[in-house]
Amino acid sequence: MAKELNISDLQLKYLELETLLDITNDLNSFEEIPVLLQEILVKSCAVLNASSGLILIEDDNSNVLNIGADFNIDISALNGIIFNKNKGVIKEINQSRKTLCFKISQDNYFYGTNCVYCLIAPLLDKQKLAGAIVLFDKESRKGISPFIDSDSNMLSAIASQAGIAYNNIKLIENIKEAKAFNENVMQSIATGVFTTNLMGEINHVNRTAVSILNFDKEYIIGNHYGYIFESNEQILELISKCELESITVSESQVQLQFDDKTTTVNISVSPLLNDFNQPLGTVVALEDLSNINKLKSTFKKYVSNQIVDQLLENEDLLSLGGQEQDATILFSDIRGFTSLSENMTPNEVVETLNDYFNQMIEIIFKYNGILDKIIGDELMVIYGVPKSNIQDSENAVLTAIEMQEKLIAFNQDRCINLKKPIKVGIGVNSGSVISGNIGSTDQMDFTVIGDSVNLASRLCSSAEAGQIIISDAVWNKIKHLQTFKSKKLSPIKVKGKAKVISIKEILYNGYEFDYQDAFNKVEAFLLKELPLYYTYHSIEHFRDVVKQVERIAKKEKIDKAGILDIKLAAWLHDVGYIWGPLDHEEKSVEYAKVILNEMKFPKSKISLITGMIMATKMPQSPKNHFEQIICDADLDYLGRNDFEDISSNLLKELEINQKITNFNWLKIQEKFLKSHSYFTLTSLKSREKNKQKRLTNIQDLLKTYEATRTSRK
Amino acid sequence: MSSFITSIKENNSIIIIETNGYLNNTGGEAISEIVYEKIDQGHTKFLINMGNTKIVNSIGVSILIEIIEKLQSVDGKLGYYNLAPIVSKTFTIMGLTKYSTLFESEELAVNEI
Repeated sequence: MAKELNISDLQLKYLELETLLDITNDLNSFEEIPVLLQEILVKSCAVLNASSGLILIEDDNSNVLNIGADFNIDISALNGIIFNKNKGVIKEINQSRKTLCFKISQDNYFYGTNCVYCLIAPLLDKQKLAGAIVLFDKESRKGISPFIDSDSNMLSAIASQAGIAYNNIKLIENIKEAKAFNENVMQSIATGVFTTNLMGEINHVNRTAVSILNFDKEYIIGNHYGYIFESNEQILELISKCELESITVSESQVQLQFDDKTTTVNISVSPLLNDFNQPLGTVVALEDLSNINKLKSTFKKYVSNQIVDQLLENEDLLSLGGQEQDATILFSDIRGFTSLSENMTPNEVVETLNDYFNQMIEIIFKYNGILDKIIGDELMVIYGVPKSNIQDSENAVLTAIEMQEKLIAFNQDRCINLKKPIKVGIGVNSGSVISGNIGSTDQMDFTVIGDSVNLASRLCSSAEAGQIIISDAVWNKIKHLQTFKSKKLSPIKVKGKAKVISIKEILYNGYEFDYQDAFNKVEAFLLKELPLYYTYHSIEHFRDVVKQVERIAKKEKIDKAGILDIKLAAWLHDVGYIWGPLDHEEKSVEYAKVILNEMKFPKSKISLITGMIMATKMPQSPKNHFEQIICDADLDYLGRNDFEDISSNLLKELEINQKITNFNWLKIQEKFLKSHSYFTLTSLKSREKNKQKRLTNIQDLLKTYEATRTSRK
Repeated sequence: MSSFITSIKENNSIIIIETNGYLNNTGGEAISEIVYEKIDQGHTKFLINMGNTKIVNSIGVSILIEIIEKLQSVDGKLGYYNLAPIVSKTFTIMGLTKYSTLFESEELAVNEI
């Protein structure tokens, strides 16, 4: 006969208590949160007969809980679910701080698990919800069943213990982080620092101090400072004095001798005290003066020489920590750099940026700007830090203008080399900023922060390619100078500001050049001055060349700005005919220089235009893409169907001085067509074939002439 | 075979079942299914290698008790080895050790059951 075996309620309660005790005993032995969570979950499932479970745990940076542990459950069913502390059942336990048991409905976070019943307990970090223990489906021999009140009580007890353990681990992690933070601070500071204990033994030393002391760190730590500095009396006296009198002592320009290495340092020794002002030892700071020169040369990569000298003369200007002051901030950003760089190799991108930055930074330093940051293709420049100056805003605007003007010349070179132009938008703002050393334990930067900086950045974002946008604050500081031209723009709404911001655009030579006005002026001049006997070099020729340059340039994928420049050259290329055919290109160039200067055309681009004019001189000699386009446009008719008409106009014009026989005219044309070649792919494709046909026709005619002549003889 | 059962072997007429994972309702039923089938085939001694079962709940224990009852009716025996301390403690609290035996190793279990 089989014995009757049963699990009594008492045994179950005993197991529950033992589990709780185990959890309490074990929890403090865990050092890592994931291990702790897994252990809690597994034990909770077991003691409460849950078929599965998971622990949700806080994300430090948001209001969302993440899955920190799972047991016997397919968590892929929960992919994409956001466990928001302020929604659903998590909100309920967040507010009530109580364990809940419920049947999982369709609108519940856990519906996708296919579990039916849920028991969820808050995991509290002090009074804040740090997470939740979630158990699913209480098992019985008859299947699954809902959790009951005693299960809630048990899970609450486990969660309460787990919360304490979780807090302890977090606390230890925070202490470790703080320790690492202090160590990082100590290691990252440029001053050599070491500390001694009450026995005079060195117990901490940072990297810089190790370098100054010229010993291995292992040798320094634990050694008495008397041994380390045995041949350096001055520092021994300073440390000893500090130990005896508990006062800070310092000495400048002290020479430390270690073997063959001599280092000049400034020394400061301070007593190290505990919270009750009892001595713990000393802290010694060694400022390596031999680095000053290195520092100076490095610094000059970021600020102008003048600023470096100011800083070195007056160290107070660089006081640590934040200080509020007025400054002007300039941001510039390349427009469309991502798409521009898509067709470039990484090397080309770096080369382009270096080339661009070199030219821009030279301008920044010229106007005493501090290059604060280069972020990708963006530049952040500060004026007035560490010492403000009445000219800060003026300097910032002058920088912006010169940067834009310099870019025009920069792009001219790029266009000539078939590279896409670089265009920047610039924003300038002025106002109160907090300046100082800002950053993390690993890296600190001397920079400025504040609303004024953010606004400058926003103005830069609003500026279109080639635009300089300034705030009213900047304009109010420069308007009295009456040297800057500005245009009022529609106010902009800036994120984080209730009121709209009034802005102005600073105008400069180049950006505002009115090409259409220039075309109209040259055309009017030609209509008025061009002698009527020019049947070929008439206004029609100019209009035709302008039309053809536009067509060819578009096909050759020249950008809008480039097309405007080539059209300008087309209008000007034969203006010299007004003063006679001889050396007419040179005369055109002279005229172009005068009119372009008068119209404030960017000086740096005048050579681009005159180069195109000279390229049309026979024999054509284009040196770059733009010049190839104008040359092809100038003789476009050679491959067109209106060749006969235009060529007869040319004959008429040539016959002003002397009569040309038909035979000679054919010979001239044959020679010209044979020697001519198109330069652009567009013209080669669209005109060359027709031109060759024309040549064959002319050669056929010449043969007929020759035959007729021979038969006459 | 359930994924909870990773192997079944016979050693000296003793059926040795190796488990992996949570010994709950599902795990317990997987064991009982094998044991009952083997009982029908005439086997009476069973060992469970619980090296990979680190957690057990009371339903799992209940099923083991049901198996023990069944084995008692055929004068059979059930034993376990490679138990994690927590599992061993649970078995003890739940009274399982009164009717079945915990062994330290397979060798001891095979010799002594």
